Amino acid sequence: MNSLAHTRLLALLLLAIGFAIFFSKVVRYDYPLTPDTETTVWDFEIYLEFSASNRPVRIETFIPARSVGRDVSEEQFYNGPFGLRLDEEEASGNRKAVWTYRFPQDRKVLRYRAQLLGESGRTPLPDSMREKRRRSTPQMDSDLERQAFIVWSSDLRRRSADDDSLAELTLQQIFEARDVDEVNALLSSLPRPVAQLELARAVLVSQGIPARVANGVYLDDARRRAEIQHWLEYHVSGEDKRFFPNGEPARFFALWYGVEEVVAADGVSELDVQIGLQQARFAAQDLALSAGARGDWPVQLFSFDQLPITTQLVYKVLVTIPVGILLLVFLRQFIGLQTLGTFMPVLIGIAFRETALLTGVFLFTLLVVLGLTVRFYLERLRLLLVPRLAVVLVFIVMCMAGFTIMMASGGQRLGLSISLFPMVILTMTIERMSIVWEEYSAEEAIKQGLGSLAVAAVSYLAMTHPQVEYLMFTFPELLLVIMALCLLMGKYTGLRLSELIRFRELAGKAK
Amino acid sequence: MIGSILDLRRRGVMGLNERNVLLVNEFNPRRLIRLVNDKTVTKRLAAEAGIPTPELYGTISNAFDMRRLTDLISAPDGAVIKPANGAQGNGILVIAEKVQSGWRLASGRRLTYEDIKFHTNNILSGMHSLSGQPDTAMVEARVRFDDVFSDVSFQGVPDIRVIVLRGLPLVAMVRLPTAASDGKANLHKGGVGVGLDLATGLTQLGMQNGKMIDSHPDTAHALSGIQVPHWDEMLLMAARAYDVTGLGYLGADIVLDREKGPLLLELNARPGISIQIANRAGLKPHVDAALAADIEGLDASARVERAKAIYRDVVGEPGAPDAAEETAKSAAA
Repeated sequence: MNSLAHTRLLALLLLAIGFAIFFSKVVRYDYPLTPDTETTVWDFEIYLEFSASNRPVRIETFIPARSVGRDVSEEQFYNGPFGLRLDEEEASGNRKAVWTYRFPQDRKVLRYRAQLLGESGRTPLPDSMREKRRRSTPQMDSDLERQAFIVWSSDLRRRSADDDSLAELTLQQIFEARDVDEVNALLSSLPRPVAQLELARAVLVSQGIPARVANGVYLDDARRRAEIQHWLEYHVSGEDKRFFPNGEPARFFALWYGVEEVVAADGVSELDVQIGLQQARFAAQDLALSAGARGDWPVQLFSFDQLPITTQLVYKVLVTIPVGILLLVFLRQFIGLQTLGTFMPVLIGIAFRETALLTGVFLFTLLVVLGLTVRFYLERLRLLLVPRLAVVLVFIVMCMAGFTIMMASGGQRLGLSISLFPMVILTMTIERMSIVWEEYSAEEAIKQGLGSLAVAAVSYLAMTHPQVEYLMFTFPELLLVIMALCLLMGKYTGLRLSELIRFRELAGKAK
Repeated sequence: MIGSILDLRRRGVMGLNERNVLLVNEFNPRRLIRLVNDKTVTKRLAAEAGIPTPELYGTISNAFDMRRLTDLISAPDGAVIKPANGAQGNGILVIAEKVQSGWRLASGRRLTYEDIKFHTNNILSGMHSLSGQPDTAMVEARVRFDDVFSDVSFQGVPDIRVIVLRGLPLVAMVRLPTAASDGKANLHKGGVGVGLDLATGLTQLGMQNGKMIDSHPDTAHALSGIQVPHWDEMLLMAARAYDVTGLGYLGADIVLDREKGPLLLELNARPGISIQIANRAGLKPHVDAALAADIEGLDASARVERAKAIYRDVVGEPGAPDAAEETAKSAAA
């Protein structure tokens, strides 16, 4: 059998196996084809850092409440020497972690972590929120305010047809209408929009509509410092409703209800509160598995579900690398793009993961230029090759350290990410580029450098695309398909795009 | 664009992909490629088979050998330092003569002992070698090249590249150094490639940087119509290189010394495809014809005769060039 037929047969076999498993997962076990945000599990973290000075410390923080329709799992507390108590409030459904310690010193860190599935606008409110209540006037600071509140709320009631329109009118008056005297007078000293939401809640409750102010996070993107968002939840005319002052997010998660701050601390200074969010994994596999397919071999063999979460996260990155490599093979064999090193661009692309694209390209270019400068300077010292490489490497480390310190003092996150930027790749790039620079020309070196950067950017975009990540992670059998495509490209004998340009004179000759 | 793809296909122009899959992978097993990557090995094999090469003064592979550097490069006729595993003419230093403060290069630059030692050390640490592995520097006699191409070259050494498939010389070209290529004959550095009629050894038209040209960019002399001396001997050397190495697809680089005649400089297991522009024709028809030929039991000189006949078949008689070439010539005149 000749090698071309052999290759094709092998590729066909791999394609067949890969697609067979893929389609059996999709058709038989109902694996979804797109990353469904509703089934994304989020890693949630509250990170508290503060200075203590030998005085008794008490720190209270709200942690995600457990209630029907919301899933909070794998809770972990990092207490250090602190004592921990969990408080659950029956009425509001809030949960609090209370950390105490009598004689703490220096900087201390406390952490709470959990995994949670978010809520959406369709998530039902608890039954306690659905009971029609008696109309009642809330407690007010002064009689004058109380009078004003009563007058204003009965005015709103008069101007509306039913509970539904009453709620809408109230929210419109508080959030949209300008300079409503009553609103200005009745708003408490709480920060906006909490004060506005609280006033709206008071009005609704006074008219017998169950309502509460919810505080939590929007689950839209991985963040190290998620902002606390506030919204109003109420139940009117048999319907659960939510009002978001800043537009409704697709997914969110309520941490606690009421107007308190997320953290209350006693006896500490320089308190820093960070709320971190990160997509942990796709729960779709879990759903598929729980549907009774756990024992079937194709599902079991070709999935990462049995691995611990941390290992899964590593593989989530790893399985996308072949996608970048497939792209690189295409760009080299069909387009004829020139790059420094064979797989270097894909490695650079992986490095961009740590920095995001624009920052990555900027840092990469900057460091390469700096490294090249040093290398050309060293050229004059007549050093041996390997020690010279070593000096460049040390210089790159120093540059990175310098950046990190600069950025950290500027309060940027950039600094944190650069420390993970693989410097060996950078050094090798610099060395290769300088050889090309000397042996060929500056033009050629820059051309290849830019080519590498372009491939790196494209492969980064491909490797980090959520759909690609999801497909490769959920269906690792697609690796066989990628392998088959690479095999087939290995037998491509046609001209490259760049060769059309190279031989353009030969083509033109016939005309 | 589609049109130009079809046009190039029709003319039998081969790309790198096709060269790699159809020729290199098919005819050059990896273990044989090793023989031509290391030029000291190539030299030894050639010597055993009686193929003349430039005289090897010595090799330097460690700091101990380095003490001989001065002696090796101080030959009265000059010397050439090159990496044994170098590629594409990288890392080659052509020393013309010893002068007061050091050495003068063929390009006119002056270098001190320190400069040359640094260069040699770079070679040893693998800067110019194919895989970055530690390498050996070789010092060999500088070729006193024949005057036949002096009208159409600018400094440096012109060389002749013959592509050989299954021991059959396929196509050939002359590579001429230019001012732009810094005295080197490499096409990708701006050297001029001139197509050769394989049957006669007469030069035809040329190319530089992928563009067709009729005269040398520096000397303005016409490129065509020069008879390469010792032509049959060169073809025989190229054909024998196949017997020596076993490489089914190779490029033989030959220089013409004033006194010693043709010398084999090096062999290449992955010769480039720019020769198609120099010859203004695709390789594919030549390859197909050579693959179809029955050469069982033929010795090198018989293969050369067969190759000439095959070339004539593919290209046609020199007296009847195709119409496009005719117009190109009249336009040049």
